[in-house]
Amino acid sequence: MTGPTDAPKDSVEPGTDGDGGEPDARFTFANERTFLAWTRTALALVVAGLAIIQLLPPFPGVPWGRHVLGVPLIVLGAVISVTGYREWAHSQQALRRGEPLPHSALPWILAVTITCMGAVAAVVVLLSAMLRR
Amino acid sequence: MAPPNDLQDPQPGLARERTQLAWIRTAISFAAVGVAILKTNPPAGLIVLAMCPLIWTLGRLSGDRAVRGDRRNRLRLITIGVTAVSLVTLVVVLL
Repeated sequence: MTGPTDAPKDSVEPGTDGDGGEPDARFTFANERTFLAWTRTALALVVAGLAIIQLLPPFPGVPWGRHVLGVPLIVLGAVISVTGYREWAHSQQALRRGEPLPHSALPWILAVTITCMGAVAAVVVLLSAMLRR
Repeated sequence: MAPPNDLQDPQPGLARERTQLAWIRTAISFAAVGVAILKTNPPAGLIVLAMCPLIWTLGRLSGDRAVRGDRRNRLRLITIGVTAVSLVTLVVVLL
């Protein structure tokens, strides 16, 4: 889109020799795509939280139910965005130095929070069903 | 961590194109969030929608051979943008 794709603009990078050198361009691009994928995950979480609060009909008997489900998702979006940036920076530094990539905490954060959200959603639904009668 | 030896390939795996497409998907995600917020809070939604072409432009810059600090600043800008969107959504939802 930005130019002729079949013309090699950049010469071959010297690679990962020594500290401070730019890594292979493919590694830089892959790291950037990973960051962007986490960014989209964060945005999807924000939109999911917004949709829960704005579009879902209220739970009978549990007026705070929608907020208890939606607000953590929106906050999780901000956390994932910032963490994604920090992990991008650390990975880029590791690539530059030729070190092994650092361990990513993001899958763990996401899995734990989604599990807790599932538990909270079950509690809200059951509570609402009990209070309706 | 030695790079493979096929670096003579000018476009190994079309990494540049894949990355630009990822930027475009991210810009579209911003548009989706903007439209969702637009429904309840038009001014906030318009601000988020306005970030969509901005990110599109950042993505087009990403294909160029950029200096290290430049790339870092662009990604930092995205992070600040997403965090701002999250905060705006929180305010919209809690008011």
